[in-house]
Amino acid sequence: MTFTQARTLAAQTRADFPILDQEIHGKPLIYLDNAASSQKPLAVLDALQYYYTHDHANVHRGVHTLSSRATDAYEGARDKVAAFVNAASRQEIVYTRNATEAINLVAYAWGNANLKSGDEVILSVMEHHSNLIPWQLLAQRTGAVLKFVQLSETQGFDLEHYKSLLSDRTKLVAIVHVSNTLGCINPVEEIVRLAHQQGARVLIDACQSVPHMPVDVQAIDCDWLVASGHKMCAPTGIGFLYGKLDLLRSMPPFLGGGEMIADVFLDHATYADLPHKFEAGTPAIAEAVGLGAAIDYLNSLGMENIHAYEQELTTHLVQQLQQIPEVRLYGPQGSDRAGLASFTTGAVHPHDLSTILDQAGIAIRAGHHCTQPLHRIVKAQSTARASVYFYNTQAEIDAFIVALREAIEFFGGIFA
Amino acid sequence: MALDNLRDLYQQVILERYKKPRNRGKANPIDRYQKGHNPSCGDTIELTVQLNALGDRIEDVKFEGEGCAIALASADLMADALRGKTTAEALEMVQRFQSMMRGEAEFPQELRKLNVMQGVAQFPVRIKCANLSWHTLKAALESSEAAQPAAVSNE
Repeated sequence: MTFTQARTLAAQTRADFPILDQEIHGKPLIYLDNAASSQKPLAVLDALQYYYTHDHANVHRGVHTLSSRATDAYEGARDKVAAFVNAASRQEIVYTRNATEAINLVAYAWGNANLKSGDEVILSVMEHHSNLIPWQLLAQRTGAVLKFVQLSETQGFDLEHYKSLLSDRTKLVAIVHVSNTLGCINPVEEIVRLAHQQGARVLIDACQSVPHMPVDVQAIDCDWLVASGHKMCAPTGIGFLYGKLDLLRSMPPFLGGGEMIADVFLDHATYADLPHKFEAGTPAIAEAVGLGAAIDYLNSLGMENIHAYEQELTTHLVQQLQQIPEVRLYGPQGSDRAGLASFTTGAVHPHDLSTILDQAGIAIRAGHHCTQPLHRIVKAQSTARASVYFYNTQAEIDAFIVALREAIEFFGGIFA
Repeated sequence: MALDNLRDLYQQVILERYKKPRNRGKANPIDRYQKGHNPSCGDTIELTVQLNALGDRIEDVKFEGEGCAIALASADLMADALRGKTTAEALEMVQRFQSMMRGEAEFPQELRKLNVMQGVAQFPVRIKCANLSWHTLKAALESSEAAQPAAVSNE
């Protein structure tokens, strides 16, 4: 795809995102904080509006028409999620609040029942806190030991180090697909294959990959995969856990309550079949419907197209950043990376930079991006991060670069 | 770019203090030690305070740590302003600074240098940065130990 076509993709979608058509401090908004959360297209907002104005009732229990419609919409969205990540069965998709809840579900339901003292869990040093803290808590409960894959020389996943950590003590590997800080795309298929050779289970944190590229759980062959809806055009409050059917069947429930039961007596209960066993309580129905609408929207654009376009944007972003002498870019320096760039500048602290760019209408993230251990390793107290989605344009990246240069000059000039 | 707004926030004094702080380091001896932390951004500050023999007057304040221009300039200006103040006066200053960040107060003539931080009140998300050192000072003065392991969180 060329930039001519690419502009067409951004131009094609721009009107679908009315939030982007506004001024911040008198400047056109340039939203480059997509790795934190994406904006929502009208198709998703309309789906929420339609659901609440036509179909809402509680799911799975009513005999009446609205309950039936709500259930159809809620379960129909599950079919869309299953197809989107190529799950073998719709029963393999469990709705959660977000990826964090999905990871906690696995850590409690599977982890408590399957890990014991001395068992090893392999993570990487680049994990988001959401794929670190649940395993720390699990290790505290069970006596399991956490092992960490270090960074490669190019600040990616060190496959050789990973191989050296794998052993018959390894029971679980939990790794991020695309780092939210480094932007590296990790070799998940190889990671899974090697782990399975040792009989270990693998969870993939796909929060930064599912919104941006085709992801096929059967091709990856992971045991679980988690993602959050709000980073992929869907509302907040909805995410999902994919798990292999037999594995999910073998896991005890996570949260108890309504919706997840079959027969209930005062002293015991039997549980609903998958996926409802893991969906206690009235779920986020409208949000699930919104997730389904988001997937329809993404499919209408084509995940291959989105990925190709974002790769072009990313290449441009990285090249432009590398031309600023004060900028230090983290993660792989080539174009083999996802559409986000974390960096520091010599003179300007990321927080100050974010304030200055905000005055120019530009939204970026500043801080530790929920990867504090990684920031310690790359010796950055915090970083600034610009991240793109398919509705961003090359012109927006250029405007960001101009503003970034001005910010550096503003701070640097004072001290010259 | 709208640099005019930014000059209210990043006044010359603030940028100078950020670049060339006068009170970086450790007090000697250290009578109060307190680490402060802003979990949302990762900024940290370590304050060390030297008190007089009676323990009721501040002889010296020094800071170390990492943070943005607002956080570090605020710490540096604070350290200057505290020298010679009683601990009771210092705690009053903490309150006044926090009120100033809400746009509700400013410092009198003899402490007017602290008023350069007033511009931060117009940038609500940055108030935490300016408050970090003051928040940490309060914890330091309210503790009775020279070594306090736990960091206070500026949340």
